[in-house]
Amino acid sequence: METMKGRLFFLFFIAASFTTAAQLQPVFNFLQDDTVLKKNYFEKAVQQKTAAINSLAKEHKDDYKRIYESRFKEIEELLTSSRSLTATEAHNYLQSIVQKIITANPELKGLELRVIFSRDCWPNAYSMGEGTIAVNAGLLVFMANEAELVFVLCHELSHYYLDHSGKAIKKYVETVNSEDLQKELKRLSKEEFRVNQQLGKITQSLVFDSRSHSRNNEAEADRQAFRFMKNTGYDCNAIISTLQLLDEVDDSSLFKPLNIEQAFSFNEYPFKKKWIQKESAIFSQLGEENSLLSKNEKDSLKTHPDCSKRISLLQDSIKAIGNSGKLFQVNESLFKQLRKDFIAEITERCYNGKNLSRNLYYSILLLQAGENTPMAIYSISRCLNEIYEKQQQHKLGFTIDTENKRFPEDYNLLLRLLSKIRLDEIASINYYFCQQYQELMKNYTGFAEEMSKATRFKN
Amino acid sequence: MKKSILALGILLLGVIGTNAQKFSIENVQKVSLRNSDAIKEGSEVKGYYFFYVSDKIDKKTNEYTLLVKDNDLKTLKEVKFQDTKHVSILESSFNGTDLIFLLYNDDERTFEYQVYGADGKKKHSYMRQLTKKEERYLEATYRSVNDDEQTFKGLYPIEGKGFISNTPSREDKDYTFQVDFFATDKKKTWSYTPTEGGKKFIGDYLGAYNGVAFFQVLRYGGAFDQKPDSYMIGLNMETGKKIFEKPTDSKFRFYPASMSLINEGKAYVFGEYFDLNANIMKDKSKGFAFWGIDEKGTVTSEKYVSWDLDMGKYLDVSSKGKIDDFGFMYLHNMVQTADGKIYAIGEGYKKVASALGIASKILTGGRGGASALKLKITDMLLLSFDSEFNIKGAKIYDKNSNNVELPNGYEFVSTPLMGKMIKYYFGEFDYAYTQVNGDKTSFTVCYSDYVRGKDYKGGTFNSITYNEGKFTTDKINTKSDASRSSVLPGKQGQVLIMEYYRKDKRLDVHFEKLN
Repeated sequence: METMKGRLFFLFFIAASFTTAAQLQPVFNFLQDDTVLKKNYFEKAVQQKTAAINSLAKEHKDDYKRIYESRFKEIEELLTSSRSLTATEAHNYLQSIVQKIITANPELKGLELRVIFSRDCWPNAYSMGEGTIAVNAGLLVFMANEAELVFVLCHELSHYYLDHSGKAIKKYVETVNSEDLQKELKRLSKEEFRVNQQLGKITQSLVFDSRSHSRNNEAEADRQAFRFMKNTGYDCNAIISTLQLLDEVDDSSLFKPLNIEQAFSFNEYPFKKKWIQKESAIFSQLGEENSLLSKNEKDSLKTHPDCSKRISLLQDSIKAIGNSGKLFQVNESLFKQLRKDFIAEITERCYNGKNLSRNLYYSILLLQAGENTPMAIYSISRCLNEIYEKQQQHKLGFTIDTENKRFPEDYNLLLRLLSKIRLDEIASINYYFCQQYQELMKNYTGFAEEMSKATRFKN
Repeated sequence: MKKSILALGILLLGVIGTNAQKFSIENVQKVSLRNSDAIKEGSEVKGYYFFYVSDKIDKKTNEYTLLVKDNDLKTLKEVKFQDTKHVSILESSFNGTDLIFLLYNDDERTFEYQVYGADGKKKHSYMRQLTKKEERYLEATYRSVNDDEQTFKGLYPIEGKGFISNTPSREDKDYTFQVDFFATDKKKTWSYTPTEGGKKFIGDYLGAYNGVAFFQVLRYGGAFDQKPDSYMIGLNMETGKKIFEKPTDSKFRFYPASMSLINEGKAYVFGEYFDLNANIMKDKSKGFAFWGIDEKGTVTSEKYVSWDLDMGKYLDVSSKGKIDDFGFMYLHNMVQTADGKIYAIGEGYKKVASALGIASKILTGGRGGASALKLKITDMLLLSFDSEFNIKGAKIYDKNSNNVELPNGYEFVSTPLMGKMIKYYFGEFDYAYTQVNGDKTSFTVCYSDYVRGKDYKGGTFNSITYNEGKFTTDKINTKSDASRSSVLPGKQGQVLIMEYYRKDKRLDVHFEKLN
C-alpha cells in the first residue's frame, strides 16, 4: 500500500454513543455514518479479495494469498470501525470531487474505487492498492482549500492507476523466492560464523532496493497526479502548497499550545508542579549523529523523496500552465465546515479508539480555543473518569502514549502528567473541573453522569 | 519475558515472511539474549538494557549488541562490538549524567567497566583482573543463584562524579572485599582492600557524603571468631585513602545497614542495635539506632529506638500480637519526606526448626545436608519518625511467609549477618525496592507476595505508597491469562508489565502506575 507520509497506526474500534435524555441537548452533533454504505463497501472489498485470490496462478500462490489476506485485515478494520467516515454530506462531497477528477481524466473511468474520509488523527492519505483510498481527517484539517484535497486524491488515484501496490507485491514475492536469494540463504543456514553480518548485508540491499522503488513510485505518482490535476480546472499551485504542508505538518498545530497548568488548576485544588517535573535522563545530550547509519544510508531508507525534491521535480511544469485554475469548485463553505467538524470527529475517534491521551489533548485544546466548548468539557470529564478507571485496573498503559521526541512539546507535557499523576489526584482534578463547568453544562446530555462519577471517585 | 521483547524486535527486523518450505532471513538469523535489566540511578529506573550475541565471528569471538532504551522503552542507542565469547554484563548503573556497564569475562577472569557519557559516546574503559577468591565468590553467588534479575549488585552511583564498586571475595571461610572507584569526568581510578588487624572482612557500602564513601565493616580475628569487630570506615573519594575508622560499639553494639542524607543533607547511618554483651547469634536486637555522622567519622548524634519501650507503643493490639511472629527485622531503606518525617522500611525474618533439615541430620548422622534451622521471611514493617528520630508510628503489612532452607552450618551465623545473607546471598526477601519522587512528597515501597484466595491464586506485586501525608496500598496479580508475565521496576510509582501470549505470539508491554 502507498501512503502520503508512509505511516501506519493500528487503533481499535469500540463503538460508543452518547446517552440521550429528552430535555437535554447533545454536546455536539457528530456526523452520522451511512452504515449501509459502509457495509456495501466492505462487501465489495471482500469480493475483490476473494476474486484476487481465486485468480492467482499456482506459482507462489501461498505468498500472494498471505499478503492479500494481511492487506484485507487492515481494510476490514478501517471499513468496519468508526475510523471510516461515511456521513452522507461529507461522503457525497468527497465523491463529487473524485467524480470531477474522473470526468476530466477518462482513463480513470471503470476503476473500482472506494474513496473515503477517515477519522484518524495523523495527517495522511493512502491507497490500499485494491481500490480503497482514505484521506485522514487529520490531514484535511490542515488543508487550505479544495485544490489541495484534489492533489492528494490525484496522487493516491495515481498509485492505484499505475498499480504501484500490485507491482510492489509482485516484486517482493519474486525476490523472496528468487533462486539467488534462496541459494544464498541455504548456504548461510549451514554456516556457523558471520551469518548475521551477511544476512544484514542482504537485508540492507533488499530494503534499500524496495525503498528506492517506493521513492520512484512517489515521484511517478506526483507526475501522474499533476497530469490528472491540470485537466480538472483546479489551481495546480496547490501541489506546491500541499507538499510544503506535508513537509511541515508534523510541527504544525491548529491551536495555540496547550496550557496544562491553566487547564488543571482550580482555587480549591491548585496545579502541582511535580506533575510535570522533568527527571534526569540517560544520554540526555544524545544527538542525531548517534545513529549507526550514514547520511546516505538514512536517505536510502526513506520511503518518500524529500518534499523539497518533490516540489522541484514539478515546479517547472506547474509554472508552465500558469495560474488559471480555481481553489474551489465543488463547495467552499462545506469544505470549511468539514475542516471544523473533523476536529471534533478526530477527538471523539481517539476516545472510541481508546487513545485516551490524544482524546484528552484535543479536548483541552478545543476548550482553550473556545471551540465546541460543551463537547470539549464533556469529553474532558468523560476521559478523566475513564483514565481513573483504567488506572485503577492497571490497564491505563494500553490507552495512553508515552513521551516521544516526535510529539509536540505540549502533548509531551500532558503525557508526563498522565504518567505521574496519582489515582486520587485524577479524581480530584476531575471533580473540581466538573464543578467549574457545572452551571454551563447543566442543559447538556451526559455531563451530569460524568460529574456524578467524578464525585464518587473523589470520595 | 525479557527475551520475548528482543525476539519480537528481531523478528520485526526481517523484511521477508517466514515459510516452512523455504529459507527466510528470520529462520536463518541466530540471535540470543545474554543479559537484560533495568538501569537505575539509586532506586530510580532510568532505562533498560538488552545485551545480546548478535553474531558469531569465529570460534572464540562473538559480535555483541548492547541496546540501551529509556524508561519509556524507546531505543536510545545500539552499540555493536566484538569480544571473546565469554563476555556477559553483570550490572549497570547511572549517576545522573553517565552510564556504566560492568562486563565480566569468565575465561580471563576480568571485569571491564565501560563508561558512556550524556552524549551517548563511550568515555572510558577500566579493566580489572579478578583474584581467584573474587571469582569464587562470583561463582558461589551471582552465577549459582537462580535469580531472575541475574544481577550482581555492587555498583553504586556517585552523582556526576563516578561509581563505587564493592566486590566481595571468598575462599572457604576466608572473606574480604575490594572497593574500587571509577571516575567519569576523567579517567581515574583507585582501589581499597582492608588488611589491618584481621583475617576476614565483610564490607557493605553505606553511602557517600561530602566527598567520602562510607562502609560498614565486620572484622574477624580468625576463622572461628564469633564476635567480630564492627566499625565504619570513610574513604576519600578522590584518592581512596582511608580517612577514618570508627568502631560502632558505644552504649550498645550497633550494626549500620544503610545511610541516608536527611535533615537538610546531613548524613545518618542506621541499623539494628544490641546489648554490648548480647549473643548476636541468638539474641534479638533491642531496636534501631540512628547515628548522625560527618565526613571525618565524628558521630554528631545518637538515637536509639527500642522495640519494647518505643515501637511497642505504636503497634496496635493485633500488631503487638504479631511482634513475636514477626521475628527480626531487616531494615531495607529509610527515606525522609519533604515535611521532615522519616520512614524506615523493614521486613521480618526468623529462624525456625526445619523438618527437612532435622530429617536430613538424622539421615546423614548430623554430618551434612540441610540445616536443622530454616528461615521464615515474614511481614513488611513501616516505621515513621519525626526528624529527631522519635518514633511516631509503626505498621505491619501482612504478607504470606516464605521459607528458606539453610545449608548445613548456618545455625551458627549471627542474626544481623543472616539478614545480609538473606538479602545478598539467598535473595529471598520479598522487598523489591523503594522509589522516592523528586520533591520527596511521595515514595513507593514495592514487594512481592503470594495469594491463595478463592478468586485468585498466584503471585502478586504489592506496593505501599505514601503521597502527601496519605498511605495507600495496591497490588497487581502477576499471574494472568498470558502464557508468561512479569513485572519489572519502572519510573517512580510505576511498573513495567510484560505479558506474552504464546498462542497469538503476542507480547503486551505496558507501564502501569501503582495506586
